[in-house]
Amino acid sequence: MNNRSLRNIILEKIVGLFMRVMVIFSIYLLLRGHNNPGGGFIGGIIASTGFIFYAIIFGTDSLQKVIKIKPQSFIGIGLLLVLVAALLPTLFSTEMLTGLWIKADVPVLGTLHAGTPLIFDTGVYAVVIGVILTIVISIMEVLKWN
Amino acid sequence: MSEYLPLLIGLLFISGILVSVLYPLLKQRLGWLLSLVPLGIFVLLFSTLGDLDIKATKIFPTNFSLLENISFPFRIDGLSLIFGLLISGIGFLVVLYASWYMKKYSRQAHFFTYLMLFMAAMTGLVFSDNLMALFIFWELTSVTSFLLIGFDHHLEKSRQAALQSLLITGFGGLCLLFAAILIGNITGTYEISKIIEQGISLTEHPQYTLVFILVLIAVLTKSAQFPFHFWLPGAMQAPTPVSAYLHSATMVNAGIYLLLRIQPLLGGTPIWKYSLILSGVITMFLGAYFSMGQKDLKRILAFTTISALGTMVLLIGIGTPLSIEASLVFFIVHGLYKGGLFMVAGIIDKSTGTRDITVLSKLWKPLPLTTIFAVLALISMAGLPPMLGFVGKELIYVAKIQLPGLSWIILPLGVGANIMMVAVSLTVFVEIFYNKSKKPAIPAKYTEKQLPWYFILGPGVLALAGLFLGLFPGGLNKMIANALFVTKNQIKDVHLLLWHGFNEVLVLSIFAILLGVLIFVLRKPVTRFIKKTIEWFDIYHLPTIFMTVMNLYLRIAGKNTQRIQHGYHRFYLMTFFVVTLIILSFQINWNFRELVPINGFSDIRFNIVILLIISTMALLFAVFSMSRLSAILAMGVVGYGIGLLFLLYGAVDLAITQFLAETVIMVLFVMVIYYLPKFANLSTKRSRIRDIIISLVVGAGVTIVVLHSRALNNYEPISSFFAENSYLQAHGRNIVNVILVDFRALDTLGEITVLTLAAVGVFSLFRFTVKKQSK
Repeated sequence: MNNRSLRNIILEKIVGLFMRVMVIFSIYLLLRGHNNPGGGFIGGIIASTGFIFYAIIFGTDSLQKVIKIKPQSFIGIGLLLVLVAALLPTLFSTEMLTGLWIKADVPVLGTLHAGTPLIFDTGVYAVVIGVILTIVISIMEVLKWN
Repeated sequence: MSEYLPLLIGLLFISGILVSVLYPLLKQRLGWLLSLVPLGIFVLLFSTLGDLDIKATKIFPTNFSLLENISFPFRIDGLSLIFGLLISGIGFLVVLYASWYMKKYSRQAHFFTYLMLFMAAMTGLVFSDNLMALFIFWELTSVTSFLLIGFDHHLEKSRQAALQSLLITGFGGLCLLFAAILIGNITGTYEISKIIEQGISLTEHPQYTLVFILVLIAVLTKSAQFPFHFWLPGAMQAPTPVSAYLHSATMVNAGIYLLLRIQPLLGGTPIWKYSLILSGVITMFLGAYFSMGQKDLKRILAFTTISALGTMVLLIGIGTPLSIEASLVFFIVHGLYKGGLFMVAGIIDKSTGTRDITVLSKLWKPLPLTTIFAVLALISMAGLPPMLGFVGKELIYVAKIQLPGLSWIILPLGVGANIMMVAVSLTVFVEIFYNKSKKPAIPAKYTEKQLPWYFILGPGVLALAGLFLGLFPGGLNKMIANALFVTKNQIKDVHLLLWHGFNEVLVLSIFAILLGVLIFVLRKPVTRFIKKTIEWFDIYHLPTIFMTVMNLYLRIAGKNTQRIQHGYHRFYLMTFFVVTLIILSFQINWNFRELVPINGFSDIRFNIVILLIISTMALLFAVFSMSRLSAILAMGVVGYGIGLLFLLYGAVDLAITQFLAETVIMVLFVMVIYYLPKFANLSTKRSRIRDIIISLVVGAGVTIVVLHSRALNNYEPISSFFAENSYLQAHGRNIVNVILVDFRALDTLGEITVLTLAAVGVFSLFRFTVKKQSK
């Protein structure tokens, strides 16, 4: 809303909290995605839902100030990560997009497997956030929702 | 030491990418740093020159592979050495030269990025031992040269020239891809060394003609041979350092390289011989002839390049060991003098602001050193002693004389081209540098003392190299013999000499020189005559014809697109549903005995029935509602209902996605709805009835297919494979996610690319309207 005559402090506080919770939850989903329900797609949608609600209450400009990075850059970063995950295996004499894994013994969590699919998934996560935010913010700018 | 070659080629690519990072730190000094990479390659190649045995081929496999058959092994042998030395050596000089030439351009970083990537692609091309890798590098040179030619993209002319060269060379590249696939199918491998080892005779294969024609198109387009020659004069729109590099050692010479490389596989047949000789002869003569009628120094040089390329294609077409030897020597000759002359043209342009030879005069005074280098290069171009050009030209004559049967036509045209070259060289020298012309001297903005030394280094090194190799041509013997072994598979002693003694070849040379001088003396009427023929030729002006055809093609494509992409969302949906329905109905008709399967249903669950009832009611409400807001809310209820359905059947991922997507869409709708026009019933009764029928039938069809899908197992379902291997091979228990990011990662890659495109489309669409409104 352009004029802040209809300010609602409780709503603003809740949305600020809501966004942070959603982002943290989305990262949690992204990381557990390989073994439990979750993953890059869902994580990305959840995070962007948080951002969108924030933008609806505070306007797109404030959202831009909070996330600092342009939504289009999210897409670029995401595609770059996917590309890295895709091409990394070719340096190890396997075909592109083959999963590479390393085992790591972490004291509390036990043996962890980390690999290129996680990089890939993170890329998907970033692209989804970027795409949704780009579309929504473009629409909101036409509506002068800043 | 040579095993570091793949590493250095990789470094070229990386340095190109890093330019954008390094440029803000180094500014003008960036060129110095970048020039070290090609210099390193040159030194490395030069050091291998000494210990390379005549039969030795060094192959360096790299771990890098795109697909099973497409890996990137690199090879050093005589042929790739010659090309590699010229590419890296001239590349080093060009980068230094460009660092001063480009200093006033605002997009310098872009320029060096393109240039380094171009250099990397070209180096990769000549050293790769895999046909597919060669093709990839080949296309990369086309793309990067497109960026370089169109570098001044604010000029309409540059953009057009760049597009033209991309379309033509890209078309040739596609032909090369098909040829590579065919060769790979016939021999079973893409690796050139293995193909040659196998000794399978491609020339007797039934598909030989097809393969050859494809390769031929690739070569003719890349090397600017008639009738595809016209993109090269246009390409001089590029900044001069690029022209110098493009003409002397790279790009157009890639076609020559391919011919020499593939000669053992495809060469020697009559069709190979005659098509190359024909196109080479025409190109050789036309290029030399047209060069005389030009005013712009760069344009003159561009046409002489076309002529030189024609000569090389012709020599390869003749195909005797002697003619191949001549073509290799001539490649070195041409690279040395053409690179130098283009750099001189750039120096003249910078110092006087013009390249028009009818305006320029008396440059001897402000640019003494440049004049000396230019004269040396021009002597080499005219084929006079003591430059290497003389050695090359003598060899060419010998090769042409020895050709049985065809020498009566090739020799006169060859001598004719040489006459023109002598005349052009003399004209350029006298018009631009000589003291006693009547034209007023152009004031030079920079005299030589104001130019930095590394700006004149390039032509100097190249001219002196030409002179040195002309005096001691024996230094090239071993290298040429090595390359000859690669292309002709026979060992031949190469003895290059400056002075052959007095023989028929020398008589021909003297004859050509005398006639060239005569033409030079008569240059005014001759130029007028040539200009007239060019005007006459302009009826068939190939660039114009090419652009007309391209525009016609675009217009027809545009019309067709308008017919299909009409912009009415409802008709898109209708087309989609009707087509789906038709396909489905055929499937139902063929595959199912009964329309609805009777058994195989699970028990009806109470909660699901309630869910369905609510969803159906919401749906009916949405259809008959007279308010847009309530219709959208009702659609939202349907969406949540579907999400709940997913949840009840255990698809948690899907359910979450569905809920979130539904929420976002609803929110967006509610935001936009305020700005939409008032709700009105615009559709007629007939169209509503039509829509009802279509939607009901599609719904019924989909329902039938879904009901059958349980019992339908045409193929073994793949899901068991995923279930079994998900944890063991991909270390993940969530099968859906493992499929997304591992088993089917390529699909996901495609999907996110589509998403990105959608976002870019929406973004540009809205940006455009916002800007228009704000105006």
